[in-house]
Amino acid sequence: MASSLNKIIVIVGFISLFHSAFSAAQHRSYLRITSQEFTTLPLDIVIQAVVSLFAVMWGVLNVAGNLREIPAAAELNTIRWETQRNLPSFYMFNHRGRALAYDYVPSSSKAELENLE
Amino acid sequence: MSVTKGKDNKPEPIAYSEAALRNNAVVVEYCRTSMAALSGSTAGVLGLTGLYGFAFYVFAVVSLWVMFMLKTGPNWHKYYISRQSLLTNGFFGALFTYVLFWTFIYGMVHVY
Repeated sequence: MASSLNKIIVIVGFISLFHSAFSAAQHRSYLRITSQEFTTLPLDIVIQAVVSLFAVMWGVLNVAGNLREIPAAAELNTIRWETQRNLPSFYMFNHRGRALAYDYVPSSSKAELENLE
Repeated sequence: MSVTKGKDNKPEPIAYSEAALRNNAVVVEYCRTSMAALSGSTAGVLGLTGLYGFAFYVFAVVSLWVMFMLKTGPNWHKYYISRQSLLTNGFFGALFTYVLFWTFIYGMVHVY
């Protein structure tokens, strides 16, 4: 949600920056036609360009990705004890729990088990 | 996965995660390059010439730094080793990108 908002900020800022560029080019051609001397741009074009620059910079800063915490323990601290003890190599499925399951049908042979796969 | 390295000027060494440091450096570099291109385009649109353009570049670098500080808030030392190097790293490298976009957009808007 926040990421899409930042993308919208980037896109709108780019469009606004292009618009101010076209406004500046148009102002230049107007001055050329009326044969006036160029001193500065109108204030609204300057404000639009600078504000859209800041908007795109802020959007890019948030779109670029999240900063991660640099202390080495910061990510290790979030690992729970249960997660660290989770060892898939020691999983066991052939245990006495099947004697407690009333609807369990034992397979007859090992070959049948291999055919299931 | 994570490499520990000590800091010399402190009595207690701080261990940093290498992967996190590299990730943050990539993010900062991306933002810095984008900032150089965008502020160069803006300087070209505004029609800055000479030293005003370079002053605008310094202004853009400082404002990007302020934005990084705003993003992390008061606990910036969780994300960067030092603030000063965040401000000054790659200053001249991005300056060339800035000058490229500045001259290009200036030519597009004000000359032609």
